[in-house]
Amino acid sequence: MALSRRLLPLFLRRGAPVPARALSTAAAPAAVASEDDEEAITVKGVRISGRPLYMDMQATTPVDPRVLDAMLPFYLSRYGNPHSRTHLYGWESDAAVEDARARVASLVGADPREIFFTSGATECNNIAVKGVMRFYRERRRHVITTQTEHKCVLDSCRYLQQEGFDVTYLPVRKDGLVDLAQLEDAIRPDTGLVSVMAVNNEIGVIQPLEEIGRICKEKGVPFHTDAAQALGKIPIDVNRMGIGLMSLSGHKIYGPKGVGALYLRRRPRIRVEPQMNGGGQERGIRAGTVPTPLVVGFGAACEIAAQEMDYDHRRVSALQQRLLDGMRAQVDDIVINGSMEHRYPGNLNLSFAYVEGESLLMGLKEVAVSSGSACTSASLEPSYVLRALGVEEDMAHTSIRFGIGRFTTEEEVDRAIELTVHQVKKLRDMSPLYEMAKAGIDLKSIEWSQH
Amino acid sequence: MVIITTGYRDQLATGLSGSGSPRLESCLLTRAEVLFLFRSFLRTVKQFSDYNIREYTRRRAADAFRENRALKDTPAAAVAFAKGKQQLEVAKRQAALYAPKAKSVMELKVQ
Repeated sequence: MALSRRLLPLFLRRGAPVPARALSTAAAPAAVASEDDEEAITVKGVRISGRPLYMDMQATTPVDPRVLDAMLPFYLSRYGNPHSRTHLYGWESDAAVEDARARVASLVGADPREIFFTSGATECNNIAVKGVMRFYRERRRHVITTQTEHKCVLDSCRYLQQEGFDVTYLPVRKDGLVDLAQLEDAIRPDTGLVSVMAVNNEIGVIQPLEEIGRICKEKGVPFHTDAAQALGKIPIDVNRMGIGLMSLSGHKIYGPKGVGALYLRRRPRIRVEPQMNGGGQERGIRAGTVPTPLVVGFGAACEIAAQEMDYDHRRVSALQQRLLDGMRAQVDDIVINGSMEHRYPGNLNLSFAYVEGESLLMGLKEVAVSSGSACTSASLEPSYVLRALGVEEDMAHTSIRFGIGRFTTEEEVDRAIELTVHQVKKLRDMSPLYEMAKAGIDLKSIEWSQH
Repeated sequence: MVIITTGYRDQLATGLSGSGSPRLESCLLTRAEVLFLFRSFLRTVKQFSDYNIREYTRRRAADAFRENRALKDTPAAAVAFAKGKQQLEVAKRQAALYAPKAKSVMELKVQ
């Protein structure tokens, strides 16, 4: 848009009838106007002065400059295919891939031979759920998962149900954690997989992985966890947590989009049926050329995460506390969705009572936040995760998820507080429900007259 | 400690995965050298066009120098210094890389 505005004066001067102003000796006003316009961004009818401040770290994260620095040589000069065995380009590319594999493995306490690169956590979840069950389809017919899993896991389970498998969707408690007694009861002799995600992308709760791993090990059932949001943020040890399969994603830890990794335990060996057939790359688990630059970026991101985990965790916890305190000081009736004790601090999901969610989001154009999850935003339904928590419809509609990450500054948090509080107060001033609630009327007891 | 051997020079000769250990400077690391490195960081950071990356690099560099101040004259200090120089090279390359016109809302509004 800005580019065409800058070129417009050029076109006017060349072909079209020359306006009188162009003959004057005064400075062309077009240049000044275009500079102003370049700063302002107009998207979907909304005009904002600059790029919004980014507080949606669970959707994706910016690429760390150190990661980009590691990736660029593999786009510029070392562009070989890692599976080419006959020349330097292939050898160096292969060496880089194996190096990255070792870095990913060391972040989770695994052996490099247990890491398989894929296109992302969604592909890993598909391989884990469908691949494991199809491999053991003779003896294992049952899958256990939770109601708050990511859509790709739930969709894969639904697909398995169509193929004739049984699936148990475990409910979660009000704080978002899975009930361990219920999990233990649900395990049958023919259970082939238990899939519970490590950190939930919508509400940020951390599931008790060690306990679940222990239960699964006792019963002899493979334990799969979707650790896309957890990698590099909480310490993960596949042996301490008894994890058999794990899905990892690159773009949630300040790495590139389009890459992920599947952890597949070797002892005891867990077999999967490959979902992508082809040239036998990645030991036959996932065929296709391994994208060296993306994989190198993923490895670099994992290495940086290992070094920076403590520093980032301390900072993000402090910022989350600042955000919460700032909001609560100015606005009441805020509900936090999900457990506060078992939470990754960078994910804060808040519901503002007596405020309509869509209008709140419409007013928050200078803050990039999310309501619910990007995966479910296509429909008008409130998020299924919040529904599983038992949150009521109206509170589920007003939920906003603030994502804080490595690059978030204190000033951004303060500005987010200011903008959100301003919008919430404005909407509550207009809201008759808020007036009634403040007057002490119980909203549930109102009988709305029908027209 | 694994150091990322990045850079446009071919690092194959030194090997990968941390086997390329940093050249240890002499153990007498002067205060002037450290200050020069820190000021180089601050100068380079100003060239970053992205608000978040700029603030992060400034903050992280300051915190890292503050944390390592306790190392004084130990060999660990020389290792940290070498790592700092390497990170400065990364920052210099990345700062010059891409400068889009649009600025963050945090930089524009003056309140």
